[in-house]
Amino acid sequence: MLEKRRFIVGAVLIAGAVSYLIYAGVRTTSMYYFSLDEFLSSREAHADEDLRVKGWVRHGSVHWDPRTNDLAFDLAHQDDSNPVPVGYRGVLPDMFSEGREVVIEGRYSGGRLAAHQIMTSCPSKYEPAKAGS
Amino acid sequence: MPALGRLAICLALLFAAYATGVSILGALRRRRHLVRSGEHAAYAVFALVVVAVAILLRALVQHDFSLEYVAAYSSSTLPLRYTVAALWGGQKGSLLFWAFMLTLFTTIVQLQNRERNRELMPWVTATLMTTAAFFLGLLTFVTDPFERLPIAAREGADLNPLLQNYWMTIHPPSLYTGYVSASVPFAFAIAALATGRLGDQWIRSVRRWSLFSWFFLSLGNLFGARWAYEVLGWGGYWAWDPVENAAFMPWLVSTAYLHSVMIQEKKDMLRVWNMVLVLLTFSLTIFGTFLTRSGVISSVHSFTQSGLGPFFIGFLLFVLVVAGGLLAYRLPELRTQATVESFLSRESAFLFNNLVLVGIAFAVFWGTVFPVVSEWVRGVKITVGPPFFNRVNAPLGIALLFLAGVGPVIAWRRASPRNLWRAFAGPVGAGLVAALALGLVGVPLGYAHSTFALGAFVLGTIVQEFWRGMRARQAMLHESPGRALSRLVGKNRRRYGGYIIHVGVVAVFVGVAASSVFRVEVQQTLAPGQETAAGKFTLRYERITKQDDPHVSRLAAVVSVWRDGKAVTTLAPEKRFYKKPQQPTTEVAMRSTLTEDLYLVLGSYDDESGLVTILAYVNPLVSWIWIGGIIMALGTTVTMWPTPAERREPAYALAGVRAATD
Repeated sequence: MLEKRRFIVGAVLIAGAVSYLIYAGVRTTSMYYFSLDEFLSSREAHADEDLRVKGWVRHGSVHWDPRTNDLAFDLAHQDDSNPVPVGYRGVLPDMFSEGREVVIEGRYSGGRLAAHQIMTSCPSKYEPAKAGS
Repeated sequence: MPALGRLAICLALLFAAYATGVSILGALRRRRHLVRSGEHAAYAVFALVVVAVAILLRALVQHDFSLEYVAAYSSSTLPLRYTVAALWGGQKGSLLFWAFMLTLFTTIVQLQNRERNRELMPWVTATLMTTAAFFLGLLTFVTDPFERLPIAAREGADLNPLLQNYWMTIHPPSLYTGYVSASVPFAFAIAALATGRLGDQWIRSVRRWSLFSWFFLSLGNLFGARWAYEVLGWGGYWAWDPVENAAFMPWLVSTAYLHSVMIQEKKDMLRVWNMVLVLLTFSLTIFGTFLTRSGVISSVHSFTQSGLGPFFIGFLLFVLVVAGGLLAYRLPELRTQATVESFLSRESAFLFNNLVLVGIAFAVFWGTVFPVVSEWVRGVKITVGPPFFNRVNAPLGIALLFLAGVGPVIAWRRASPRNLWRAFAGPVGAGLVAALALGLVGVPLGYAHSTFALGAFVLGTIVQEFWRGMRARQAMLHESPGRALSRLVGKNRRRYGGYIIHVGVVAVFVGVAASSVFRVEVQQTLAPGQETAAGKFTLRYERITKQDDPHVSRLAAVVSVWRDGKAVTTLAPEKRFYKKPQQPTTEVAMRSTLTEDLYLVLGSYDDESGLVTILAYVNPLVSWIWIGGIIMALGTTVTMWPTPAERREPAYALAGVRAATD
């Protein structure tokens, strides 16, 4: 019986450790994932906090300097409305281009999103953009 | 021809439905001819799916752009091997490919069991054909691979450039093989539950299938990692993307099963647990397919909504309800009296290993679905990224590595102090020596240090096992060392093959730990002739080269690599601009050695100033991940190789049949 209890204690310890690691991991690494509208309505409340925002690269807004790798563009709705300026320093992702859907990871401060990562949506291997679009 | 393909799929669906119904009827009414009829229908399903695949392949190879699928995923300039690979490059084709694998495996299973497992087989056929019917139903009613365009396209949109890669030809087929073959153990589990034949028979019958599925899941994951490493150009090989997690979770649960099933075979324990693991593995393969196709969880692989999500969720619920119901129904019969006798025993080490593996699977699952769950519960989407998975899984991985050293050598039932000393003195010594030596050469304490030291401990147990087994044979049978070793492995393939797999696992752990902890990353903008340092290397940007052909144009930065004042090599990372889906891609340039990879990416190029931005990564010991994969493959081959007795078995069976009919 004692042995069985020791075994159960071991099992509970493992389960507890897994739960704790998940709990602590979520607490320290989670961040909000906003659509552009959600972001626009709550951006002041989440200033200076890591978050992700999904939107589209506004047509005609991309300025990129290949010498300094400074990128500036506007994140907007698909129809180019409600733009938010984004700044980023680093290499341009391959799939980045105007009109494309992107997810920005960064912080909002002073009316501007400072991105530290730009994730481009791969024209998915399952559903490609229709020819001509 | 395409109309014929569609007809073949529709007929296959009908036959699959018939096979399911008639098999169950035959099983319930105990009518042999009905069961046989079900099996024959299943063969017909396979033949029809082969016809459909052949027609789609033919359309691809002949560039029949009147088909929507062909026009969307290939082009007339696409090289042949990728044209063939386009079969699984798109959603519809990959579903057809899935149906093909599933019906192929059904055919093999039925042929293997013509004279065996006759009680189980109708249920096995019915389960596999139900799954086949689900996929064929999708192909018939929802997403038709033979759909015609209103007007034939002049040219195809081409396969995504990222997929025009060697790994595209082997990564998806490996993964699908692993995914789909998990259906076979699942079908036997359902058959065991349905018939109440809950003993070891079904487990022994699918032992090789479980290993086979695990093997291809392992390969598929490693190929995928290698692909990401070579192609995506961010210097890493694993990003905890939902789609990667989708393939990782069934692998984890399947690994747990392969270990715990040994406890059932030896001790008749854990029957319920093993059943749950088999059902869970299959459910996770369906869940994984759902993840990749539904767009519910955003991922680099699948941003777009395809509308297939609800069907997969529906099928998954159906599977869970049927399997869960059967399990609950048989629960009293499944339970056994045997329990773990001691905390210090192989049984308990294996159980702990199982808990950790399932714990990792759960953590990965939780991290993957977290955005969806948080949206339900709190109305806002909250994501967790790679830091979450790394933080949670690093300590669990360390625990797993430790148990991989303990499990194989600790005594069954109850370890005595003497036995513990005999089993662990050497390996623990090896681990401590390694820990000390690593400390002396300046490896800081932390995850990498622990992984290396525990790796030495695990290798110590394995070397000791081989050594002791070999010595015992030499002493008893007076064999030469080489012969003793090969006989030892040959006569205990499962055990020693398992040890070889563990050696590979240690190599993968070491590679992952070193390359995660000690990686160097440099980003520098350079003019021709300028230099920058990356770890021990000096990089000098020499010049840019340009190349143009009808399919793709290339821009390459020539970079010479120096170390301690000596030229090491010249690397040329590229940017490519594919012409059809107008899109740039990155071609990594790499110098790979056993100690480290130097990994260069051309970040950007400015035509006016001639400036380039180079991203350089020094990834230590990455090669050992791939080497570990090869060792695991070797070990699995040893484990699966039929023993002489098994090889003779079909002959006996055949002779028995002949004797009976004579």
